[in-house]
Amino acid sequence: MYKIFIREWRRILTRPIYIFCIVAVPLFCALFFTTMMDKGLPQDMPIGMVDLDNSTTTRTLARNLDAFQNTDIVANYPSVTEARKALQRGEIYAFYYIPKGTTQKLIRQESPTVSFYTNNTFLMAGSLLYKDMRTLTELVGGAAGRTVLFAHGATNRQAMAFLQPIVLETRAIGNPSLNYSIYLSNILAPGLISLMVLFITVFSIGQEIKEGTGRVLLRLADGSAGKALIAKLLPQTLLFSLMAVLTGLYLYGYLGYPCFCGIPTMLGLLVLFVVASQGLGVLMICALPSPRLGLSFASLWGVISFSICGMSFPVMAMHPTLQGLSYLSPLRHYFLLYVNCALNGYELFNAWPYFAALCGFALLPCLFVERFRTLMTRIAYDP
Amino acid sequence: MNKAFRNAIRDVFNDGGLIIFFLLVPLIYPLLYTFIYTNETVHEVPVAVVDADGSSMSREFLRRLDASPDVKIVSHERSLEEARTRVKHREAYGVVCIAEDFTRNIMRMEQAHVNLYCDMSGMLYYKAILSSATDVSLGMNADIKVSRAGNTTDREDEVTVQPLHYEQTALFNPQNGFAAFLIPAVLMIVIQQTLLLGVGMEAGTRRERMESTRQFPQTEEFTLDDRAMIETIGNEENGFAKKKHPRSPQPHHASRRALRTLLGRSTAFLMIYVPIAVFEMGVVPHLFDLPQIGNAWEILAFSLPYLLACILFAITLSVLPRNRESVILLVVFSSVPILFLSGVSWPGSAFPWYWKTLSYLIPSTFGVNGFVRLNTMGADLSAVRFEYFALWTQVLLYGLTAWWVTRKNELYKIDLKRFYRRWSKTRNKAS
Repeated sequence: MYKIFIREWRRILTRPIYIFCIVAVPLFCALFFTTMMDKGLPQDMPIGMVDLDNSTTTRTLARNLDAFQNTDIVANYPSVTEARKALQRGEIYAFYYIPKGTTQKLIRQESPTVSFYTNNTFLMAGSLLYKDMRTLTELVGGAAGRTVLFAHGATNRQAMAFLQPIVLETRAIGNPSLNYSIYLSNILAPGLISLMVLFITVFSIGQEIKEGTGRVLLRLADGSAGKALIAKLLPQTLLFSLMAVLTGLYLYGYLGYPCFCGIPTMLGLLVLFVVASQGLGVLMICALPSPRLGLSFASLWGVISFSICGMSFPVMAMHPTLQGLSYLSPLRHYFLLYVNCALNGYELFNAWPYFAALCGFALLPCLFVERFRTLMTRIAYDP
Repeated sequence: MNKAFRNAIRDVFNDGGLIIFFLLVPLIYPLLYTFIYTNETVHEVPVAVVDADGSSMSREFLRRLDASPDVKIVSHERSLEEARTRVKHREAYGVVCIAEDFTRNIMRMEQAHVNLYCDMSGMLYYKAILSSATDVSLGMNADIKVSRAGNTTDREDEVTVQPLHYEQTALFNPQNGFAAFLIPAVLMIVIQQTLLLGVGMEAGTRRERMESTRQFPQTEEFTLDDRAMIETIGNEENGFAKKKHPRSPQPHHASRRALRTLLGRSTAFLMIYVPIAVFEMGVVPHLFDLPQIGNAWEILAFSLPYLLACILFAITLSVLPRNRESVILLVVFSSVPILFLSGVSWPGSAFPWYWKTLSYLIPSTFGVNGFVRLNTMGADLSAVRFEYFALWTQVLLYGLTAWWVTRKNELYKIDLKRFYRRWSKTRNKAS
């Protein structure tokens, strides 16, 4: 058995494609997503101002809006049409429109109307900017009302109680700063490792089929298909687990992303996730025993997994068929385990069905030992 | 007809793998993706409530919250702990907690607090709960203010409620939908990625075939003698130049042959991809009622440099994979980072400079931005001239690199042919 093990190591180390997939891709992805979103929220997104009133009040409003962390006023436009064109040119993500006479009406208590336009084709930019502009407008309205109340002799506390009788206090559990990197990188980085695991599992077994070296493999394992399969996949398991553990240490140790269950638990889950993906990979190549079809299957399912796992678009908003399908992806189970353990800090037992599902994926190859033997002994390769 | 053109067309329609990547994936993938996101946004997010006050006012708050389209109250609990158990079992994604002094505070003209606990596993849950609760609290605040102000006219009420009115317009995607925002980008990226996969695979197949149809040893299995022979053969003109067949290709023909091959192949891919682009950029948005307010002719005009840039980019990169399968391993994973680099989900203005630079090397960055603006935002071609010219620049740039790699390939082919001639001669002699 160790002969196959050594043979597999030699293959991995001598073929650049293996090193690329096992080491370079996970490394690149972990660094890519975390450096791209290192600020947590996109800062200083460009917006425009159409200030037809141009009074001290409206200029103060613009200055205050500019001071918001996510917002940066880059230009003043003479008309809404100009601003809309700039929006279509992609120079700004939103603009704030103050019609002429706003200040005058505000002082006369005629409740003037201001408008803001967000480009929701860029959903994240649009909704964050909407939040900023709405908050600011509420504040300005409040400030105007407060001035009147102060003039009537109200204290600050009374004024606030009059203006805002009900206050909402929001607590975002696990991610109080709404850090998008926590929300995305924690799933995208392990998800891409899982995609590469699927590929390498399918590819390495597929190459044996394509090159017709399966019989050699079986002979080295003294005819035991199970041993051959284990020894063939073990070096990959070790390397991928190493990469997954490094990713975990980087995310939860170095970057300090929330991990309420303790880092060792998450590292354990990551390793289980790698093995589960290998199990699914064996199923794929055994079901479609040609490298090309197996890899096509792996890429289709691997890429769809990112959408169907519910990390960005909730599963409950999908069609019931897709809700069922989502549980066929190890990434869905890993995502739920991550939410349960790292993000919310509940005990692992609370999410036992997902844990069991990952174990099930990991044990899939047991069913395919005989199929593997057939594939390895068959010689014909159909390109 | 150009031989390379003919060969490329024949290869594509004769090969299961290429049919998958050139035809099946571009047709099925967008449909699958749109199907996933077709509900656009999440409604009726389940929340648990803890109403310690139990007054008519707190019930009014909860009633309004339940009535909002995005939130649904699934359970009333007696304590925060019980409500959190609901969240723990994923029966609810948030807890709304009204303290027992809620009404009393309002009556005493003090601020009353409502606490909101959100599960952060998905931003959409958080957004739905927070925005619904904010709307409800603003509405309640307005009513309370009016009842306190003792106004005499309706107009006075209006002023009290909102001294400064505001209107929000979500341009180009009024329902804040996920599909309307993500699918146009996915469509453009599918075009680029399938081209990378297909062209790479076709190149890998040709490479495998070039070596195997001539019963040629695999490149990896060359003996040292063979290698030495291949290497010297390019330099050693004399031996062959004397007796060469008038039409047998010579190394100095490579540049011209490369140009012809490149033109033939890229025209073939362009012909296959024009209908696919029409499907992706015209039919899919129409089928799923995605925003589509652009001028079709301008979109078509824009798609030409995009397709050309993608094809030449793909031909340039097709030298990387050694055999036909490895291209899948090299290309597929990149779709996720490339989607990010297009600046649709994470705004391009917030990119660090190094990723910004990298994004300029990829055709889809400009393709996605241009298409989104033309199609979803109804811009005209002059508004996307930066993207348009950037794509033509890429066509030139990748045209040069594609020509260069084709030329290298031609040289290799010429070498192989000459080598084969000599190799078979020595072999015949030996036998």
